[in-house]
Amino acid sequence: MKALRLIDATIITGALLGFGGVFLVYMGNPTNSGFCISCFLENLAGSLQLHDNIRMSYIRPELIGFVLGAFFMALQSRRFKVTGGSSPIIRFLLGFFILVGCAVFIGCPIKMILRLAAGDLTAIAATAGLIFGVWLGAKYIRAGFSLDRVKELPQINGYIIPAFAVLALLFLLLKPSFIITGETGPAAMRAPIYLSLLVGLGIGVFAQKSGLCITGGIRNFCLVRERTLLNGVITVFVSALILSLIMGQFNLGMNAQPSSHLSHGWTFLAMVLVGLASTLIDGCPFRQLIKAGQGDVDAGITILGMTVGAALVISWAIRSSSAGPTFEGKITVLLGLVFSLILVTMYRKKKPA
Amino acid sequence: MDRFDKFNIIVIALISLITIGMLANQEIIKRRLGLDEAQAAERALYYAEQMALNAKIYQDVISLKEQELYDEAMTKLQEVMKTYPGKAQSYVYLAQLSFNTGKLSDTIHNYRLAVENDPDYMDKKTPMFIGHEVKELVKESLPKFGREKKLKPNDKEVRNTLEDLYYLQRVLAGGCE
Repeated sequence: MKALRLIDATIITGALLGFGGVFLVYMGNPTNSGFCISCFLENLAGSLQLHDNIRMSYIRPELIGFVLGAFFMALQSRRFKVTGGSSPIIRFLLGFFILVGCAVFIGCPIKMILRLAAGDLTAIAATAGLIFGVWLGAKYIRAGFSLDRVKELPQINGYIIPAFAVLALLFLLLKPSFIITGETGPAAMRAPIYLSLLVGLGIGVFAQKSGLCITGGIRNFCLVRERTLLNGVITVFVSALILSLIMGQFNLGMNAQPSSHLSHGWTFLAMVLVGLASTLIDGCPFRQLIKAGQGDVDAGITILGMTVGAALVISWAIRSSSAGPTFEGKITVLLGLVFSLILVTMYRKKKPA
Repeated sequence: MDRFDKFNIIVIALISLITIGMLANQEIIKRRLGLDEAQAAERALYYAEQMALNAKIYQDVISLKEQELYDEAMTKLQEVMKTYPGKAQSYVYLAQLSFNTGKLSDTIHNYRLAVENDPDYMDKKTPMFIGHEVKELVKESLPKFGREKKLKPNDKEVRNTLEDLYYLQRVLAGGCE
């Protein structure tokens, strides 16, 4: 019965992500970007003036909703546990590299699924890369990799990221002079604030309950053939596909796809990095937001790393455009892979001979 | 709760109240001054200035183009490009002149350069928007170059033009770049 409830929550979360993602595009979000943690963090970084691309500057209410939804659900279900202290600087750097991987592909794992469900065949290379990266990470975990032990921390630590989310909401509503909101480009493509917030909150609540994670679903299947989370991931795809078809947002092909490029090799490598790094820190970018909302300070550190990454991918052009990945983007993906592999080598607890 | 805690709580409440009061006050001032409208007006002014500056810089090019003196317009445009090397608008005129002289590959490539240099050309929310003419060009050129690629599979120019067309197609599709 408990397992059934868990499956239900996972499938509901998946359906909310899939339907919600396509619906928010219909309501004004950028095409195929109903939800994209990496793009939304780039928007957030711009809005806070951490980079100067005004076209990419807007505090996305969906991010706030994810964190606060998870926070309220964790409090209500007494699952708000404040933990942390596990390799913080490494998590920060992995968060940075995850964001770089996403920027080179142009999308986080959720957007990858949404793009695929909208008929974007360029996302196939990304899916293959993500699966391979997670599979690799699962192999390392099985071979003895784990980061430092998690400790319980004083309660106030767990309230910092939800408090940031509240502050961001205030910034969004009150628009103080130092907050930038772009009126052209992707920043101007946005669903109504309250609708985005509501959808985000709903997803945050169910994601906290279910623990849905794109890379976690694949990892659990690779490690122990456990399908609960994977069913949620598949539900995201199926629900987004159905609604895309109904709403006329489905466009099958390699060309004429928004936020895409044809450098499939780099797409593959970028998502290998995202899959591997996410597996090492136990969660995709979306899951990190949810975990930060439920008191996981390590996930909060990862989000800070991703936010710094979001600023630098724009300022230093470590990313892709429709023309393909930049040289800086390619190099940083390779550096990220090297860093991840050094990490697993150093952190692997070898069995005594 | 000892005296130290009580003191802390009072100070926290006091500072919070002051902060909320200051924020509320700023919001009232902002609404009174109409800062949002001022920002929109500032944006409109920026684009108006850009358009006026372009009209001035490219005055001769536009005039020659309207008289259908395309070679002369191109020469004049090259001069302008030397004086103002960073201006994306030059690529738009290069594209239009190339189109008028029947150089389709150059037209497509220059539109790509214009869009790469200034994404506002593909943004409906700006007066710089030229998405309609690019869309029309892409729509008409894709089948033509698709056929040419079948006839000349190793032709580098055809391949490059197709890449430019696919790029413009992706940008036209929108997204979050």
